[in-house]
Amino acid sequence: MKAVILAAGEGTRLRPLTLARPKPMLPVANQPLLEHVVDAVREAGINEVVFVVGYERERIQSYFGDGDDWGIDIEYAVQEKQLGTGHALLQAEPYVDGEFVALNGDRILDPSAVSKVVDAHRDRSHSVMAVTRVEEPTNYGVVEFDGRQVTSIEEKPPTHAVSADTINAGVYALEESIFDDLRSSETDGELAITTTLREYAARGDLTAVRFDGLWLDVSYLWDLVTVNAQVIDQFGAPRGDSASAHDESTVADAVALGGDVRVRPSAVVLPGTALGDNVEIGANATVSNAVVLPDATIKDGAVVKDCIVGANASVGPNTTIEGGNADVVVDGEVHEDVRLGGVLGDNTSLGGAVAVAPGSVLGNEADVESGAVVDGYVEDGAVVRRG
Amino acid sequence: MCGIIGYVGESDALPILTDGLKNLEYRGYDSAGIALRDGEGDSLDVYKRAGEIDALREHLPESSGSTTGVGHTRWSTHGEPTDANAHPHADESGEVAVVHNGIIENYDELKSELEERGHQFLSETDTEVVPHLVEEELDDGYDLPDAVERVADRLEGSFALGVVSTDFDGLVAIRQDSPLVVGIGDEANFIASDVTAFIEHTRNVCYPEDGDVVTVTADEVSFRHDGEVVERPVDEVEWEAEAAEKGGYDHYMLKEIHEQPQALRQTISGRLDEMAGDVDLDIDLPEEYVASVEEIQIVACGTSYHAGLYAKRLLEEFADVRVNVEVASEYEFTGGRDPWRTLVFAVTQSGETADTLSAMRAASRAGARTLAVTNTVGSTAAREADHALYIRAGPEIGVAATKTFSSQVATLSMLSVYFGRQRGSLSVDRAQTLLEHIRGLPGAIQQLLDQENAIREIAGEYADGDAFFFVGRYLGTPVALEGALKLKEIAYVHAEGFAAGELKHGPLALVTPETPVLAVLTEGARPDETLNNVKEVESRGAPVVGFSSYERGEKYLDTVVGVPELGLLEPLVANAGMQLFAYYVADGMGRAIDKPRNLAKSVTVE
Repeated sequence: MKAVILAAGEGTRLRPLTLARPKPMLPVANQPLLEHVVDAVREAGINEVVFVVGYERERIQSYFGDGDDWGIDIEYAVQEKQLGTGHALLQAEPYVDGEFVALNGDRILDPSAVSKVVDAHRDRSHSVMAVTRVEEPTNYGVVEFDGRQVTSIEEKPPTHAVSADTINAGVYALEESIFDDLRSSETDGELAITTTLREYAARGDLTAVRFDGLWLDVSYLWDLVTVNAQVIDQFGAPRGDSASAHDESTVADAVALGGDVRVRPSAVVLPGTALGDNVEIGANATVSNAVVLPDATIKDGAVVKDCIVGANASVGPNTTIEGGNADVVVDGEVHEDVRLGGVLGDNTSLGGAVAVAPGSVLGNEADVESGAVVDGYVEDGAVVRRG
Repeated sequence: MCGIIGYVGESDALPILTDGLKNLEYRGYDSAGIALRDGEGDSLDVYKRAGEIDALREHLPESSGSTTGVGHTRWSTHGEPTDANAHPHADESGEVAVVHNGIIENYDELKSELEERGHQFLSETDTEVVPHLVEEELDDGYDLPDAVERVADRLEGSFALGVVSTDFDGLVAIRQDSPLVVGIGDEANFIASDVTAFIEHTRNVCYPEDGDVVTVTADEVSFRHDGEVVERPVDEVEWEAEAAEKGGYDHYMLKEIHEQPQALRQTISGRLDEMAGDVDLDIDLPEEYVASVEEIQIVACGTSYHAGLYAKRLLEEFADVRVNVEVASEYEFTGGRDPWRTLVFAVTQSGETADTLSAMRAASRAGARTLAVTNTVGSTAAREADHALYIRAGPEIGVAATKTFSSQVATLSMLSVYFGRQRGSLSVDRAQTLLEHIRGLPGAIQQLLDQENAIREIAGEYADGDAFFFVGRYLGTPVALEGALKLKEIAYVHAEGFAAGELKHGPLALVTPETPVLAVLTEGARPDETLNNVKEVESRGAPVVGFSSYERGEKYLDTVVGVPELGLLEPLVANAGMQLFAYYVADGMGRAIDKPRNLAKSVTVE
């Protein structure tokens, strides 16, 4: 059986990190979200995969190639315009024959979610959807069911209307006939898989399978920090080739190290941190609960906490990203008291002794001069001067 | 280059040989063919056609009863690409068929002798003398291995030959200065120019030495050298044929351009020691020797030559040693040099480039020490040179070299730190700065690649130029040459690279409003002086695309591609932008980007 993994989405709420890479390529424990999905699919015994790619697809293609390094075959279907998950799935039609599994490429999930939908589909001819419980169902498709039969799917209902705490986990076992059904579904521009599945539910043709394993979504920037720490805590921290930490540095066990990472004398890297390939942590620097993307440099004496440091970014000596909680605005919506020390976009450069207030988000290629104080949003490419 | 494959086993040879030919396509070819020995040895069937392998397939049967055969992809040297000139070549009795990669230099003389003895020739190739000579030896009562060895003794030049005959249940191969690898499978044995031809069937390989006669049957491979039976070690190959697939990209070239950050991370992995201001390259050059070297000569061809030009500047600046870069086919070890104090770098991606190997051998004969800088473990260059340093860029399939250029320059930059430190000419702090810049290459090139959409638009805008001129100074000059070469290779448009200062000494006469000029305006490329040349062409109406760091010269440029700050390696980063430019110009023209006309990936003839 093949698995179709939807990985064409942009993830606008995760800008600036998603300006140069699609959401499925955000790293958790030094592996892209999509790689965690691939691992789950492999563990469920599937080794033929179709990626539906679109936005910044080069990043995915360059990372995964033809799948050899994972022992699977990967084919690529291209969704030129992002017109919904149903439209994305349709792009995979030429690559699929008979029954198949479809799932989102940006959720970390337990392999049992995949094997359970496969097993349930084998038992009966209905399409199958995995459902799971979450704390905040209002962000997802809330699913009600009777026995194993899905009776309704409500997308992002308002809090007062939430009737259940089970949500659509975005993992399906489907028949080839879904493609015709998708094409005949009514759309208003964007076509979601759930539009068609709701039609299946209405005629009693959709089975729900519950699973209680791991299911993690990265909706906002601060989720990336939390999910990264959680995955490292739960699954251990990978250590890359040629990574080296100086004898007089301290690197906690729960720290993921990419290839060729260097940790200089007296630097301290505390739990919940992932350092990507070719990252350097300078002497006396302290990094804690942070996601540091490849090729970034954190210079001597800097303090980086609860933070995301973009690829090839540079944090100057004695710069302080103090960490902690703040109110952060995304798309005009205030998220109160979230833990986010700050986000530095790709290639952003902070000079020496910069102070970054909690909740600050700096765009890609921003340039902050030595001694400046940053609080709030900084546009892509902006120059922040001192005083 | 020509590619050969041979199979002896238990299965139908036909699909194995045609798949093998497909896998050799990347070498470039203009004709293809197959010879099959039928099971009983009653006859040889030869199928060959000018053109693509698919054209040949139309003339092949669906299956054959043969379990022995040879195949060939031809890249014309002697005689045009025609059906008659395609390999395999047979004698008039149809008892012997031969495939050949290389050049037989004394074929004229041999051909006249054979014609005097009544042999008929059907092609204009050098190869065709071989089947006739083998036929004569067989008629004299020699068996096929002896016959091939006796014939090879009479041949001059470079060759790898695969020979089948009705008389012999198997095949015989021999090499002299041309690549040949033997694959040892389970009741299935192979010969080929390159492991990619048979890697789907076996990963166990032997590399015959020059002059080895290889006798291959279904259950055995044996080697003879000067009449003595010899053993050759069996290696296991790690590269996978599937790694050669395009992974969602339209072309290998674009895939490989995008692979540069990761390739560079591999290139530098574990080799930089910023704390000590040194590199760890694992080359065992004696310390006293390194200190005593008076001259480094770099021999290379094409893109590798440009990498050599880049390295020359870095080596001279950091290692305080005289460096000369020579196009390998022009190389001679000439007077005025002490071979004991001359070190020769052979820079070749494949490690099989005939011109480079030949230059390296000439240097070696003269008594100079040699160091191969190559991407291919176990290649001829790596095996024959005194020392080998791998660039670790991973397989490159696109004929136009992209990621290997970046990895070559990064590797040669590390070598210049090595020589500078060993020779005491490079201080720790300067070394650290250079190492930091080498370390920053993956991130900086990724940053440039993130401008892909903008570069695609620029390519679209200027694609219909009459000609393209690339200019730069100092480290920008090799990048200008390389930028122009990429455009020539894959877009088939007229493009030239110049040292920017040379423009006014001639080429400026070619500049018009229809000739876009691409300028390297970064650190290490003397941007302020080059900007003066930009003004010269501007005033002749030429549009100028600047690859510029620190926003230099923006008011003089029609279009700017921003290059991140990276000291002396900025020109190398700019080069990635020029690769994308060439790619999108060629793509817009619908060119066969991965297999440009008349070109081959690894040029194994001189």
